Amino acid sequence: MSRPEQSEGDRSRDELLAGEYVLGVLSQADRARVEARLRQDKTFARIVARWQENLADFNGDYMDETPPDAVFSRIEARLFGPQPGQQKSVAQELAAAGSWWNSLLLWRSLTFASLALLVTYVSLQSGWIGAREPATPLVAQMSSTTGNINLLAQYDAGSGQLKVTPVASKPNEPRSLELWLVPDSTSLPISLGVLPEAGDGSVEIPAALRAKVREGVTFAVSLEPFGGSPTGQATGPVIAAGQAAAQK
Amino acid sequence: MSLGTDTDIAALIGRVALRDRAALSSLYAAASPKLFAVCLRILKDRSDAEDALQEVFVKIWHRADQFALSTTSPAGWLVTIARNHSIDVLRARKPVADNIEDNFDLADTARDPEAETVLKGEGRRIDRCMEELDSDRAVAVRSAYVEGLSYQELADRFNVPLNTMRTWLRRSLLKLRECLDR
Repeated sequence: MSRPEQSEGDRSRDELLAGEYVLGVLSQADRARVEARLRQDKTFARIVARWQENLADFNGDYMDETPPDAVFSRIEARLFGPQPGQQKSVAQELAAAGSWWNSLLLWRSLTFASLALLVTYVSLQSGWIGAREPATPLVAQMSSTTGNINLLAQYDAGSGQLKVTPVASKPNEPRSLELWLVPDSTSLPISLGVLPEAGDGSVEIPAALRAKVREGVTFAVSLEPFGGSPTGQATGPVIAAGQAAAQK
Repeated sequence: MSLGTDTDIAALIGRVALRDRAALSSLYAAASPKLFAVCLRILKDRSDAEDALQEVFVKIWHRADQFALSTTSPAGWLVTIARNHSIDVLRARKPVADNIEDNFDLADTARDPEAETVLKGEGRRIDRCMEELDSDRAVAVRSAYVEGLSYQELADRFNVPLNTMRTWLRRSLLKLRECLDR
């Protein structure tokens, strides 16, 4: 503000650069430099977003072109492994393994697994292996696509309490907001329950799930029939989602 | 646009953020013809465009959770991912000269708040502003965007020197900005 002329000059240079980037005329190295700056400079990111919005009118020039069927199978194979669309249950997997009932290995594994579960349970209850838990509180700011609700999720690893506070929500509707944890890009979401409509929005994370709550996971909220999703997976639109990062 | 309503697409992207495979499949059904057209138009080769479309949907799967935080239209968001990926592939395949001067500073964090408020103004539709440009320049701007052409390719196509083309596009961008803000 103290040097209006310079700031004016910088702005038109940024406008130009952002426009060139969105048009697509820049070299690979220049595109990479612009993208690096986009991640750090919010004002510049907004200039780019505005050009994107303005020039999106040209998107009408792209006429539909149906891709070959094989492409989607390749996408599924890339994302979910070689058997797209088939998620085997544990029972199917065991059945496929043949005479599993008599398998010594199976019983050994089961015993070992139960022991491991017990150890995990005890250590989580007692804070015995406390070092594995995040030291700083996690916080995720979840914003909605429509902008009429914002939620702040704060996780305290010490107490296992996840506090979800609606920042600005619509008047009550006869529907429930369900909170989901998405551990990583390959896992299905895990329901953390329906958000309480009163109080401070505290949700107690079951001990078995606490190890999954860490930096990088995504919290999301979907709009569900009153009482929560009847299927165990989100059925309604996701109204907010955000990644958890260490609170600074 | 065959992309369905914004609300439908936004809801599908939201469910994709929750790792809902059925939603990915529906989103693919709704959006792949448009996004394939984008890849094909820029890369001009079916096999390259198929590879690109695959990468684009892998990116959509991984970035869907960032969509909720962005303000662009859902269809625009998808097309931007497809355009950016295709242009990156094209530039890697056929390098062009760098353009940004070396003293280009990265983050300019100390910006004055006044500039920010100016930025909040709603943009106008671009068609009317395109009409204010000389017709060949308007065509150049549009082909740069739609086909991902470099300055050199545009210069060859319009049969003008490289620097002339650079001036054409930069002046056009500033004129467009001025008109859109008016």
